[in-house]
Amino acid sequence: MTDEPEPGLELTSSLVPLFVITNGRSLPPEHAYERTTLVSASQDASDAEARTLSPEARQVLELVTGGFLSVAEVAAHTHLPLGIVRILLAQLEERGLIAARKPIPRAEHVDRDVLNAVLDGLRARFGA
Amino acid sequence: MTQDALVWFLVALAVIAIAAVWILSRRNKAVAKRKAEIEADLNQQLSKADEQIVSLTRELQQFKDEHEERIRQAEEAAEESTKAVLKGSARFLQSLAAEQQTLLETIQRKYGGHSVLGDLLEVSHANAQMSRKAQGIAVVCGAPLGRRNKPASVYDVVRSAMGQIRNFERVSIMQQTGFALKASAVSPVALAVAELLDNAASFSQQNAPIEVTFQRVQKNLCIVIDDAGVGMSDEDRQQATALLSGEYRPRLSQLGNQPKWGFPVIALLAQQYGFRVDVTGVSRYGGVRAVVLLPEELWTMEETTPSPAETGQAAGAVGNVTRADSASRTAHGLPRRGARQIPVASVPDRDTTTAALPEPGDAGQAAGRSLGAFQRGTLSGRRLTVAPSEGTDEA
Repeated sequence: MTDEPEPGLELTSSLVPLFVITNGRSLPPEHAYERTTLVSASQDASDAEARTLSPEARQVLELVTGGFLSVAEVAAHTHLPLGIVRILLAQLEERGLIAARKPIPRAEHVDRDVLNAVLDGLRARFGA
Repeated sequence: MTQDALVWFLVALAVIAIAAVWILSRRNKAVAKRKAEIEADLNQQLSKADEQIVSLTRELQQFKDEHEERIRQAEEAAEESTKAVLKGSARFLQSLAAEQQTLLETIQRKYGGHSVLGDLLEVSHANAQMSRKAQGIAVVCGAPLGRRNKPASVYDVVRSAMGQIRNFERVSIMQQTGFALKASAVSPVALAVAELLDNAASFSQQNAPIEVTFQRVQKNLCIVIDDAGVGMSDEDRQQATALLSGEYRPRLSQLGNQPKWGFPVIALLAQQYGFRVDVTGVSRYGGVRAVVLLPEELWTMEETTPSPAETGQAAGAVGNVTRADSASRTAHGLPRRGARQIPVASVPDRDTTTAALPEPGDAGQAAGRSLGAFQRGTLSGRRLTVAPSEGTDEA
């Protein structure tokens, strides 16, 4: 058997796959951690707890320490897919390391009657 | 007178007796001589026969040896041809699995915000396990291992190994070290650790923990894997030691119906890349303690801790951006919104993202930079090879 050096193929995928970064957890429910949800590190997050985190989770925690960042921004900074960031955030919140603030809900529909009343008033005032 | 007669009689008797004795002794002598002759003859024949037996035995032995040699050669030839067939197939699977892994990663990034990501992660996990099996078979059959061209922290190498087994959630890495493996050692060590983790997971309870720790012993770096399984019997231990030391190399046909590739793969990798593996230890849970011992040629002291940036595609830029960002906060400690100053995700202009660190409070410069970014954007748009076919862009 000849031992000519055969070139091994080069592995181009990243060394640590994404499912290991999330530790095999599934995505949080659809409404949790939307793109515009603001997250911030909680005040009482202890360093000891943070030290056992994976490097990616720690990076997310560092980003949101001392202020609020939106989920989309965290994803952009870490260059991780949004879903992965959402899983990491869920994990961090479970351990009490971050707090999430829901985005401000959209304005409710304005009452049609009021609008009609205003229209009527305007018509009465200026004449249609 | 009677006296004379008696004397003569006695004399005659004596003469007869003497004659008889003489005749008898002569006869005796003749018999003895004949006997000696026959004996000598027989002895000669016996030794001749002995010689013949010896030479025949020798011939028989030679024949037997030749026969055995031929069987061995035939077996080896069969083994080699089986390996060659298997090697070709395994290489094909190996490269396909690697290609698929890269492809899956691209898709995962593309649909990162979609709920399909969860399923994609599972597919990717299944593919990573298939890739491990294909690589193991390829190694046993003499094919080269897929290689990586960047050094990586030993922490990340173990995480990579974790991804290649089924229930990796059970594995916890107890430390994050600053040791890095050289590029050439990354994939072999990852594969060997994956096989050890797989063993640890298969020979212990479903939810029992598996712990990985790192230790530096003199000039060697050790990856220690502790499981809470049933441990090994003395016989198993001896067999494992023989397999891992390369003393005993099983043929493919000896691997069994549910082939046990693990130890043969580890043994070959260890021999080819110069590290050692020992599984004779007892873990703190009474299970098996497996130790991968990496000599100093395979690792270095890493400058940075395991970097999360490794996971990003624009790996080089990420670390710098985030570090710069954590430094630039408003007076109230709020992080500045990166998008205004640094085009984080939209403009993939790596040099400027790393170079243009914003100075807080300088609005003029920021405005200039954003105009600059705009200009770069339009410039890069004009450089596109698919040049606008209708009219010039100056118009």
